[in-house]
Formats: sequence, structure tokens, C-alpha cells
Amino acid sequence: MKFFFIVLLFSSFSFGAGGGLSCGSIECDKFSANTSDLASLQSGLTTYMNNCYGCHSLKYSRYNRVAKDLKIPIEIYQENLIFDGSKPGELMKISLNEKDAVEWIGAKPPDLTLEARIRKPEWIYTYLRTYYPDDSRPYGVNNKVYQNVSMPNVLEDMQINLSAAEFDKVIYDLTNFLVYVADPSANTRKRIGVYVLLFLLLFTSFAYLTYREFKKELK
Amino acid sequence: MAANEKNPGGIANWFDTRFPITDLLERHLSKYPAPTNLNFWYLFGFLMIVVLAMQILTGLWLMMNYTNTAEEAFSSVEYIMRDVEYGWLLRYMHAAGASAFFALIYLHMFRGMMYGSYRKPRELIWVGGWLTYVLLCAEGFTGYVLPWGQMSFWAAQVIISLLGSIPVIGEDLATWIRGDYLISGITLSRLFAFHVVLLPIMIIAVVFFHILALHEIGSNNPDGIDIKKHVDKDGVPLDSKPFYPYDITHDIYALGVFLIIFCSVVFFFPEGGGYVLEYVNFEPANPLSTPAHIVPSWYFTPFYAMLRAVDFSLFGLTAKFLGFVTMAAGIAIFAALPWLDRSPVKSIRYKGVLSKSFLAGFVISFFVLGYLGAVPPSDLKNLLAKVFTVVYFSYFLLMPIYTRIEKCKPVPERAPEH
Repeated sequence: MKFFFIVLLFSSFSFGAGGGLSCGSIECDKFSANTSDLASLQSGLTTYMNNCYGCHSLKYSRYNRVAKDLKIPIEIYQENLIFDGSKPGELMKISLNEKDAVEWIGAKPPDLTLEARIRKPEWIYTYLRTYYPDDSRPYGVNNKVYQNVSMPNVLEDMQINLSAAEFDKVIYDLTNFLVYVADPSANTRKRIGVYVLLFLLLFTSFAYLTYREFKKELK
Repeated sequence: MAANEKNPGGIANWFDTRFPITDLLERHLSKYPAPTNLNFWYLFGFLMIVVLAMQILTGLWLMMNYTNTAEEAFSSVEYIMRDVEYGWLLRYMHAAGASAFFALIYLHMFRGMMYGSYRKPRELIWVGGWLTYVLLCAEGFTGYVLPWGQMSFWAAQVIISLLGSIPVIGEDLATWIRGDYLISGITLSRLFAFHVVLLPIMIIAVVFFHILALHEIGSNNPDGIDIKKHVDKDGVPLDSKPFYPYDITHDIYALGVFLIIFCSVVFFFPEGGGYVLEYVNFEPANPLSTPAHIVPSWYFTPFYAMLRAVDFSLFGLTAKFLGFVTMAAGIAIFAALPWLDRSPVKSIRYKGVLSKSFLAGFVISFFVLGYLGAVPPSDLKNLLAKVFTVVYFSYFLLMPIYTRIEKCKPVPERAPEH
């Protein structure tokens, strides 16, 4: 009874969303991130750096932070994944000129550091897997999730040459990496959170027993 | 100064003869007589003091790394989230703390409304509390702008442009407040100054007054009886217990429960489903691109629904201005409660069926409006918002009538056994 009101207060604000399809013209596919799967994050990072990073910066994140979190030795990281001679401690900015980008592609490619928090991971996962041929578009492709998107289908080769399951895995890892980079402290946070809650449960039990003893005294 | 008579040469006595610290602490803390029949609803004031302290401390540390310029604000928040040791914890605590503060203050206000805590002689305590709420709304709004995300920018744009709807002086007033013709770095910088200096000082001052006034008059209780009518030979009310140890142990137990809920959010759901941190706000402010739905924080949505509900002009006044007035009145009208309530009894326990129905109507309208203010509008939703805005205000405006004509139950002389 006591916490009914609090629950009511919070729960009443949670049925706000809804209406329309979750991913443009279709429903989003299910996606469940696992940011403790280092192999997946490393594979996602590699895909990102080789295919996306030319246009999409990760400018709030630092190279060496990603290397540390993903347990990649910094020398290997520097040799294989830093292409412009940046120092490991620098922010992951790109050299693409905004004006050029608008001229070449028609839009400025957004920074993707926080993309997984702005749009849901399900959205990214579905979006990257739903390009289809459309001759009416400049690059000959369109997207089911993002109608008339400016971005060409950069991963087209993989989409054609890999099996559906293999391609899904590539995109899963890439999305997983974007989930990680949007909130890099998440794993630490959850680990600490368990101890915090265990402590609080213990603390509250003793606080309750103390309260009960004094309450008896009053009667 | 009773505590130091035994040891006239002691350090405590040295202080007490110069500043009555023992007396002060005993009157306001350890020996403060709390009614014996206080219940669950009397825990939120204490919890808010804890949250206020937490907001000040986390805010102070956030400020050490935050940059209050349009160019740097957004990236400085991400710097805090990524490069500052435990910066993410400070930021998540501060954001969830804001939501917690509002959840607690709504529960605290509802307690006062249920048990008639605003009635004579506690009118000033109530008005002081209401003023804290108004200041907190300003604090919440200014703080929301600081991360300089899309929703920060556009919510500021919507709220400040409301002032522009005031006839004659509106546009000039809005420009004066913004310091620019649009929301800009100048606006951000001044809202930052309000958020970290002016408003916290005012909140602390008003809360101090609120608690001081409470301790002079004494707490109300769920039965709305006056416990000072029956006192022992020392003048201590018979239906009271000293704050230490009886109340403080209850408060600390409640703090434990509160922190379990709070830390579950901070450590496991820091975005609170988009209600603690809104997803759109992870995109930097862009004056050239308006988000599809501009929604205020959940704690403002009931009033936002009222604003949108008024979509008609009247007497040559624009709908926007009338909506703004309605929204402001929805917040301001709480202050009038002590003078609207004409019931012979304080507590809802002894009030009649009319008071109970209107209070229930108020609660339902608050929740429904809160929902309607958070979702995109439609014709049906707009109609609902109109109906529930009327229900909301009828609780206040009809109160002088329904509290006088209803039949109340007799109030006991002493606090009932519980």
C-alpha cells in the first residue's frame, strides 16, 4: 500500500509513447545489446572504422578510451585503426569537410557517438539491413526505415556477398558497438550498481529493525 | 540550556552562553515534538532535504567541468560523462535527483491537501512550501536548458516565447529575458547563472523559513487535531514523541527505501525510459531543425496540457496568452488553498463525501493531464484536456462552497490509537 502511490506516479508516465510504426515504413526488428561481449564490440569497431568513420565522426569519444574498454592493445589499435596519425588520447574527429560533404552527398553526415541514445538500437539495426534497389534515387538505393535517405548503401558488398545470417551478425556487432560508445560507462555503472543496491538492502534492513524497536517503545 | 547545567565549565556551556546552540538543536531537532499519529505521508519532507543536499553537491561538482557557452555546453556534458572520473555518476544523480525532487514535492503537497496542513495557523508554512515549489520549477527549467541538447533549446524556446503572448509588453519582455531575439548562448549563460547561484540561494532561504516556521507552530497530523491542547506539566504535548529517536529512525528507514528506488534508476535505468533524460536531448541544439514533438519534462506535463487545452481566443486575447494564464494559474492557485477551504475540520478523514470526491477528481485530473501533456495532441485528447482542466480548477474554485455545505464527522480530542 505504502509504495503503491509512488509506483502509480511513475508508472502513469510510462505509457506515453506509441502510435505509428517503430521503424519508418516497418516495425523494428528486435535487438538486444550485449556490451560485455568484447569480441562483438571489437568486430563492430572494426566495421565502423573501415566503413563509417570516413564520414561519421565519434567526436565525443577518445581513441584510447575505446581501446581500453574493448581491451585492444594500444599499439595494435594505433597501427590498424587510427588512419590519420592522431594521437591515442585525441577525440575521434574526422577530416571530412562539411561543405564538401554537402556538395558530394547532399547532407552533412551526423556524428554518431550518441546515435544509439537518440534513436533506439533497434532502429539502427533495422535501418542498416533494409536498403533496397531504387533507380529513382541518386545512389540507386532507398531504405525502408529511412525513406529517401542521403547515405549510399556503404555495406552493399557485404550485403551481397555474405549470407543473411552473417550480414545480420556484422550489423549486430556494429550496432552493439554504437550502443557501447553512446554510454561507455554502462558496464562499470551496472557492476557498481549491484554493490550499491546490496549495501542499501542491508542498510535498510537494519534501519527497519531499529525503527521497529523504537516503535514498540511508544505503545 | 538544560543540558549544560551539570557542567558549567564545559565547552558546550561556553558556546551556550554566547549562542544557545543546545537549545536550538533541541527545539528544532532532538526534542521537537512530533505528533504520535504521523504516517507514511510525513516522510517526504525529510527525503527532500536529503535530495536538496545531493543536488547542491552533485551540481557543484558538475559545475567544475561544465562550460556555459553555446559552442561548448553540449560537449562539456559529454566530457563529464566520459572523461571526468565518475562524472557519469554525478550527471545521472543530478538528473534523476531533479525528477525525484518533483516526485517527492508532489507527494508532500498532496499530503498537505489531504490533511489540511495549510489551514490556520499554518498558512505561511504552506505558502512558503508553495514558493519552494515555484522556485523549484524555475530551477528545473533552467537546469534542463544547460545540456544544450535539442529539447533543451526548443523547450526554452517554447516557454520563453509564451511570455511574448502577453499583450503590449510581451515581445519586449521575452527579448529582455532571452537577451537576444532568439534563444542563444547569451540566454544559456544567464540561465546558468540563475540555476547555480540565484535560484539555489532562494530555495535554501525559503526552505529554511519553511522549516523554522513549521517548528515554531508544530506539525499537523493525519487527523488534523491540535496536539497542543493537551500538554504535560513541562508543556510537551501528550500526543507527541521527540523527533530523536522516534522520528529520525522512521526517516532513516524511509531514506533507505527511497535510495533503493533512486539508485535502481541511477545505476540501471539512468534515462528513466526517456523521462529522466529525454532521448532527443542527446542531439546537440540545432536552431534550424525543430523536433517533431516538443515535450517538457514529465513534472511539467500537467501544466503543459492545460496550456494546449486552451485553443480559443476570448475578449481579443490570444489563445496562446490565455493558455499561458491558465497554466500559470494552475500553479499559482495552490497558494490560495488556506483561504479557499472553509471546512470546520482539517483532515480529509473527517470531511464529507464532497471534499473526498473533489480531491479524488483533482488527483485523477493531475494524472490524466500529466499523460496528455506528454503525448502528441489529437482532437479527442484536446477535448479530454479541456474537461480535466475544468475538473482540476473546480477542486480549488468550488472549495469555498463544497467545504461549507457538506456534513463532516466529529474530530476526536486526542490522537487515536494506531
